Parts: sequence; C-alpha cells; structure tokens
Amino acid sequence: MKVFLMFSDKNISAKGETYYAKDDLVADLELEPIISCMAQKDETIKTMCRAALFSPLKSADEIRYRQENLKDALQNPDAVRQLYDITVETEKKRKKAWLWLSSMYLSSTFSNAVDLVKLYTEMLRELRLVADRSLPGFRSDGFRRLLAMFQRELDDDYFQTVRSHLESLRDSKGMLISSKLGSHLQGVGYVLRRNDRKGFWTRWRFAPSYTIAPRDDAGATDLVRRCDRAINEATNALAQAAEHLEDFFAVLRGELAFYVGCLNLADQLRRLDMPVCMPELLPQSGSSRNWKELYDISLALTKNGKVVGNDLNTGDKRLYIITGANQGGKTTFLRSIGQAQLMAQCGMFVGAGSFAAPVRPLIFTHFKKEEDSAMKSGKLDEELLRMSRLADHLESGALMLFNESFAVTNEREGSEICRQITQALIENGVEVFSVTHLDVFAEAFLEDRRTQYLRAQRLENGERTFKIIPGEPLRTAYGEDLYRQIFATAK
Amino acid sequence: MFYSVLFPDSAAFSRQAQQENEPECFKDLNLGQVFEPIFKANKDFGLESLFYTPLQNTQVIAYRQDVMRELENDELRGMVAKFAKTVWSLGRRMDLTRKALASGRDGDNNYLAKGRMLDYAQRYCHAVSTLSGQLAGMTLRSEGLRGFSEYILSLCSSQRYKEFYSRVERLRGDFSAVEYCMLIKNGTIRVQKREGQPDLSEQIIKTFEKFRQGDVKDYRQNLPEESYAAHVEAAVLNMVAGLYRDTFADLNDFCKEYIRFDDETLFRFAREVQFYLSWLDYIRPLRAAGLPFQYPEISETPDDLYNREGFDIALAAFLLEKTVKNDFMLKKPEQIIVVTGPNQGGKTTFARAFGQTHYLASLGLCVPGREAKLYLFDHIFTHFSREEDISTLNGKLQDDLVRLRDLLSGASEKSIIIINEIFTSTTVNDAVTLGRYMMDALTALKAPAVIVTFLDEIANYGANTVSMMSMVEKDDLTQRTFKIVRKPPDGLAFAIYIAGKHGLTYELLSRRLKK
Repeated sequence: MKVFLMFSDKNISAKGETYYAKDDLVADLELEPIISCMAQKDETIKTMCRAALFSPLKSADEIRYRQENLKDALQNPDAVRQLYDITVETEKKRKKAWLWLSSMYLSSTFSNAVDLVKLYTEMLRELRLVADRSLPGFRSDGFRRLLAMFQRELDDDYFQTVRSHLESLRDSKGMLISSKLGSHLQGVGYVLRRNDRKGFWTRWRFAPSYTIAPRDDAGATDLVRRCDRAINEATNALAQAAEHLEDFFAVLRGELAFYVGCLNLADQLRRLDMPVCMPELLPQSGSSRNWKELYDISLALTKNGKVVGNDLNTGDKRLYIITGANQGGKTTFLRSIGQAQLMAQCGMFVGAGSFAAPVRPLIFTHFKKEEDSAMKSGKLDEELLRMSRLADHLESGALMLFNESFAVTNEREGSEICRQITQALIENGVEVFSVTHLDVFAEAFLEDRRTQYLRAQRLENGERTFKIIPGEPLRTAYGEDLYRQIFATAK
Repeated sequence: MFYSVLFPDSAAFSRQAQQENEPECFKDLNLGQVFEPIFKANKDFGLESLFYTPLQNTQVIAYRQDVMRELENDELRGMVAKFAKTVWSLGRRMDLTRKALASGRDGDNNYLAKGRMLDYAQRYCHAVSTLSGQLAGMTLRSEGLRGFSEYILSLCSSQRYKEFYSRVERLRGDFSAVEYCMLIKNGTIRVQKREGQPDLSEQIIKTFEKFRQGDVKDYRQNLPEESYAAHVEAAVLNMVAGLYRDTFADLNDFCKEYIRFDDETLFRFAREVQFYLSWLDYIRPLRAAGLPFQYPEISETPDDLYNREGFDIALAAFLLEKTVKNDFMLKKPEQIIVVTGPNQGGKTTFARAFGQTHYLASLGLCVPGREAKLYLFDHIFTHFSREEDISTLNGKLQDDLVRLRDLLSGASEKSIIIINEIFTSTTVNDAVTLGRYMMDALTALKAPAVIVTFLDEIANYGANTVSMMSMVEKDDLTQRTFKIVRKPPDGLAFAIYIAGKHGLTYELLSRRLKK
C-alpha cells in the first residue's frame, strides 16, 4: 500500500533536505512566517512543508501532478483534514500504549507486535470509512487512487483473517517445531508448524522424550531459546508489519500534512483578501516571465493586511537589474519572486493574481548581510566566499537573486567584481535578478537586449509607490529623499 | 620433496631466523601503516614475522618473486586462496575436536563432536580434491608452486585418501535424509520423525505483505543455530539416533578410524601462501588505480640503482589515481640523493618511497614502479625529525646529533640511509656546517642515501651527490605538482597570488560553471 500523494510513483522523503544554503534562502526570502502559517504549530506540517519547499521539482509533469492534488484538496478541505486527523490520532494512541518493538526478549517483541498490529488495523478501518464517504467528491489521480486503495485492500474479510492469525499464535498445546541436521548434526532450519490437526496428541503421547531436570537452569533456558528460534520468523513478520504500518501512517501523515499546510495558508490569505493562483510553469529553457499582482506573502502575513503587488511581462530575458530608491520595495519585490518560484516548484499555489515563469529547479540568494559593516575588507571576503560556495552548486537553469551584493568595496571595484560574476552566470544559463546600487555595474548591460531594467517607482512629488516598474537606472540616489522624509516626520 | 613455499628447501627454512618485532624503520617509512590492514585481515594466520624479516639472500628472494609472479594469475590465485583459508582454519579446529573425542566425558565426546569431525573432514576433502583437480591441468613455472602441486597430486591419488573421501560422502548423504519434529511443552521435549504440518510463519508473512513500505528493521534476533545447552542438544540428537540407528553407528566407526586425517605440509602451505596472497590483495586497488608494480632486480653492489615511476605506497592507499609517481637513479659515482624545494611538495614522500621500495623488495614482494634495480641491504637506517621529546631533556639539535651519531656507527656500506629534515633547529650557517660534516661521513660510508633538506648547499656537495627538487606549477606557484626531478636547487621565492583566490573572475567562474 503506497500513499503517493506527493509524487505519482514514490513517497516524499522528509530527510532529503540537502538544499545548499537553505538557511540563507529562508532568511533572505523571509520564509519562516509562511512556513509557520502553514504549520499552525504542527511540527509534522512544518517539517513536510519545508521538505517540499526545499526539494524543488524538476519536471513539469511532477509539478502538475501535485497541483492537481492540491486543487482537489482545496475543493475537499474537510475530507483531507479528517484523513489527516486520523493519522494524528493513530500516533497519539501508539505513544500512549508504550509498545516497543525493540527488545532483548523475543517474546516481548512478539507480544508488543501483536498489540501494535491490532491498534493499526483498527485505525486502518477508520481510514476506510472516510474513503467510503468521501471518494465521490475527489477528482485528482492522487487522492482517488489512495481512497480507492483503502476500499480495495482493507475490506472486512481482510480484518477477519488478521484476527484469526493473531489468535492461532496463542496456543497452549505446546510448540511444534520441525528440524533438520546441520553441518555438524546440530538441529537447524527450525520451522514453526501449525499443530491443529486432528488426533495430534494421540500420536505424540508415546514419542521418546527428554525432560529438563528441576535444577537445570541452562536446560530450561535452552528450551526457551529453542522456542525463540522457532517464533523468530513469525515475530519478525509481525514486528515488521507493525513497523510498515507505522511507516505507512507516518508517510500518509507527512504527505497529507503538505496539503493541510497549503489549506492553512490559503485560508489565511483568503482572510487577508490577498489572491492566490496556480502558477503556469514553462519549460526550463524558457525566458519569459509574466505575472500580475505578485506580492510578498511573508510581508502580508506579518503585516496581517493587504500589500502591494507588481506586474511584469517580459520575453527573452536572462538578466534583470533592479535599481532605484531605498525602501522603494526592491527587496520585497525580489522576495516575492523567490517565494513564488520556490512555491511553484513544489506544486503549490503562489501569491499572485496570475503567474507564469520557466521551471527553475534551483534558487539561490546572495543578499548583503547587515551585520559587521565595520569590517569592510573581511566582509568582501565573506561575500566572495559565500558566492564561491554557491558557484560550486550552481548549474544551468538556476535562478540567482542578488540583493546589493559586492557593494562593500569601492564602487568601481565592486562593480567590476559584480559584472564579471554576473556575466559568467548569465552566459552559463543562470537567470539573474540583481538589486544593486552599483551604478557602473548597473549601466554595464545597457546594450544587452536580453537584460531587463527595472526600477523602484517614484512619483513626481518624490513619494514612493512601492511598485517596481520597467526603467533604466537614474543617476540620483534617493537616500536624500529618505533622509528628508525621516527628518521631516521627526519634527 | 616439497617443504615450504617461502624457502627453496627445509634447510633454508630453518636457517632464516624469523623476526617477531617490527623493524625500527617501520615508523618513519610508514610501513607499519601499510602492513597493519594486512595483519588485521589475516589475523588467524599470524603473518607478522614474515613481513618483519627482510631476506639477505638473492636466491630466496628470487624463489619468492617467482611464486608471487605466478600467483598474479587470477584463476590460480583464486583457487589457492580459497584452499589456504579453508585448510588453515580446519586444521586449527580439528585440533580442538580431537581433544574432545579423546575425552571420556559425555559433555565433550558425543554425537555433536563427531558431527563436527565429519563436517571438517568433508570440507577438508572438498578443498584438497578441488585444488588438486584444478592444479592437475596447469603447467606451473615457479619452483615453489610446482613442488606444491606435485605434492598435493600425489597425496590425492593415494589409496587411503580415496577411501577416506568416499566414506565421508556416504555418511553425509545418509544424514541429509534425517528430519524430525520436536514438541516442546512444560519442560519436556518429545521427538518424532517429521509429518506434514504447514508452516505458520509463512502464513503470517503473506497476510501482512501489502503494508511493505521500504526498508524496515530486521527483528529476527541473530539466534545462532547452536543450542544454548549442548547437553540438551546432545539429548535430542540421542533420541534422533534412536530413530535412525544405522546411520549413527556408521558415524561412530568413521570417527575411530580417521581421527588424524589432516596433513602437516598442506597446513604449513596454507599459512605461508597467505604471505603472497595478502600482498596481492593489498595492492589490487592500487593497481586498479593505474599504479604500476614490478619484480625488481636485486643488486649486491650499489653502483647502479634506479626505479622508474615509484611512489609512496602508504600514501597511495589514500590518493589512488592521484598518486604522483617519481623516478630515481644513482649511477656510479652517485651515491647520495639530496632533495630540496617547497614544503609540502612531496620531498618526504619521495624519501619514504625510496626506503619502502627497498624494504618490500627484500621480502621478495612485487614493489611500486615500472622497472627497478635495488640494493640488497643489511639494514635501513632512518632519521626523521621528531616532535621534541621532553623526557630526554636534550635540545632538538643535540638530539639530532646523537641520533645521527648512532645511525652512522651502526651503518655499513651495505646499509641504506634516509635522513629527513635534520638540523632544522639551528641557524642556517650552523646547519650548513653540520650538514657538510654529515655529508663527509656519508661519503666515507659509501652506503646509498637520501637526504631531504632545505639547505641548497648540501645539494651541491660533490660528484657523489644528486640534486633533486620538488616542483610547482609554472602558472600558479601555489600549486605543487609533487613531482621530484633531477634539478639543481634554485631557492625560488614562493608565495604570490591574490586575484582569483576565490575562483570568481569571469574566466575562472565560467570554467567552474561549465565543469
């Protein structure tokens, strides 16, 4: 029995978070508020949503499969939440029962395994009951397959067979074990035999026998070990079944957790009156981007209110240089792109009215770090080192987001470093968004038709709209504006 | 008559005193590190003394080289390896079983002990006949293996062996038909021949198959198929003997008749051949990484010594295909190689390789390199700089000099001398003066030597001195090539590089992204 809600042919791995520089990505894109909103304090949801976000899908088919399942979950939120609650309940019961499979004593592994198998089979019945009720409402391949499987595999006959096996293992007629002779005539190949045939005892009454002497402790232990050898396989079968069931419930919980997380986030954004949409993903070779009202979800969640979104419509670009006034929404813009791309890559909806972009299975951020601005030389070294490590992992088809990188040395040198790096990246298939104050760098690509210039909008009166619009760099810093504005309000 | 696969005859075998302790040069040459995995993998055979005893007889070395060369044949090696391992362990176990069967106590002398003897006998016959059959069809070139082959073939064709083997097979066949059931209840075991009851575990496994999710723990405890109390097993076996009387009576007779079935010469061969096999096993991954091995010529004079594409075998175990290979050559009047050049450029490694190769060759093993002529030495003396030893309270320089004095007084022209970074704790002028004295002494000694030093002056000592240098890349002086070549010392200043330190110039980054 396989869950397969995240992929059509495999389970998602919660451990597979090997995304390089993940912590930077979380911090730079401010992903924590988004993940918290999805999790609603449920650790499993948190883990699974992180796992999904940091295991970007590479193929459009995989993304589509998950998108379809997510659409279905959004249509059937109650059933999805019920299934999830059963998995949570199962885990609670198991923890309360204190049943451990790993024991030094085979006999206690055996009896615990029997109890665990009982517990899980009861909960499997619950799952099947939900499937019986809700299957008709689902449309997606993933959910329909799962629910139909519950009905098919877990019918009432099956539960009856399980019960009869568990009973036959508790037999008081003695244990019947067959044996052959091993290499040096020791008994080997013990097999536990069913001893419920008719006339059994009559045949055995007068067989040769050996009785352990009353004080023969070693002999008594020997008999226990002999029986252990015989129940070894049966115990293993039961304990493994229990473990498989535990895994099954864990996988089921984990994969449902992703969808429940998405439901939680969608609910919250709906309350804030912010749009969400299923993104359209173009092939990796594509170079056009098209979106409306793309906004920073994290900002909306933290502000707990509506935020400004941006529109973009470009084709055949590989470099985006974003300039303009401080606090004009450039970083927010960069974040909204990173968030949307990352969410889209794992089959989620994105925070936009509409969103179309190429598949980007790898997203890296290189944001200036606020701390230790005093140590300027050390800081450039740190930035270069960080970039160099990213370069070790970068590959064609990646998306690279720079935020005021390499601005720590003098303008001319910083620009040159930045230009060389950027040039090398875009020539090798990496798509680059670069927010920069380095004028020399910003102007270096004016002749390149595959570069899109964007600028933080400022109205005639100097007021910021927090909109990012197409436009080449202006040779004035807006710092002065800000200065004036801040000092004006201070008065 | 064949006696040993390590020595041409029993006289040479007994003449050679086996060393039980690690030679002194092992530490500096990292040879301990090389042999340790071999000793570990072959703990049962106790091979240490064989690797601790260098030979000083070219004939014995040649005898071994021939055997080892022949064992490089994978097919032959496979057969011999399997045989050796089996026979050696059977011999040791059979000793214990003989003791048990000679005892009058039921606890030792019972059907289980007899069963063990039958088991060993069967495995022994199988190993002996298999190898004998395999060797019969082969033409062997080396004296050692040819002698062994003749020995085992004649053993196998003896009447006594043939009878023994068929007796074992017949008994085994009878026992394989025995099958019984135990019914265990309330401290009593009942035994009967088996009836056709179904397997209960199988039924359970089938029922739960569908939940399989991938790998889970194996809850089967590793319960040995040995009983906990031998007396209970013996009692059960006694009951089974009552069900199958004739078979067990046959076993009793067999054990009386063949109590000493194993052969001493085969047993000795089993251990000795492990010396070759363990070495070939050890160097297999190195060869697979493209590193050359060879059977060197052994020379009794130091006039013309060389090795092409040698390497440090201890380091090679980690670096594999990245191992750097180097040549050396000492042609009369050359006697001393002096290695200078940048640090961490492979100088010590080069010196080590020189010593290692000589040592390995003296054991009769194949050694690193393509083609070599090596010295038949009496002793390898090494002097590697040590961490200061506080317990002696000597200064480092004093310690250096004391060790050098001991070394020179112990050495002869038959020795090999390797000196690594001496006199580093004094001024350069001092070091040059002392270094020259040292060179005078070594020149007088006439023994081949390798000196690693930072003193260019020593490299220019005289006609008997060969200067070699560790090299760096032409374009990037920070990159060592670990190549050591014949070249006068040049004292090249070293340490320039800034740009592209992070590999982030346009060219460097483009190259990295293309990879």
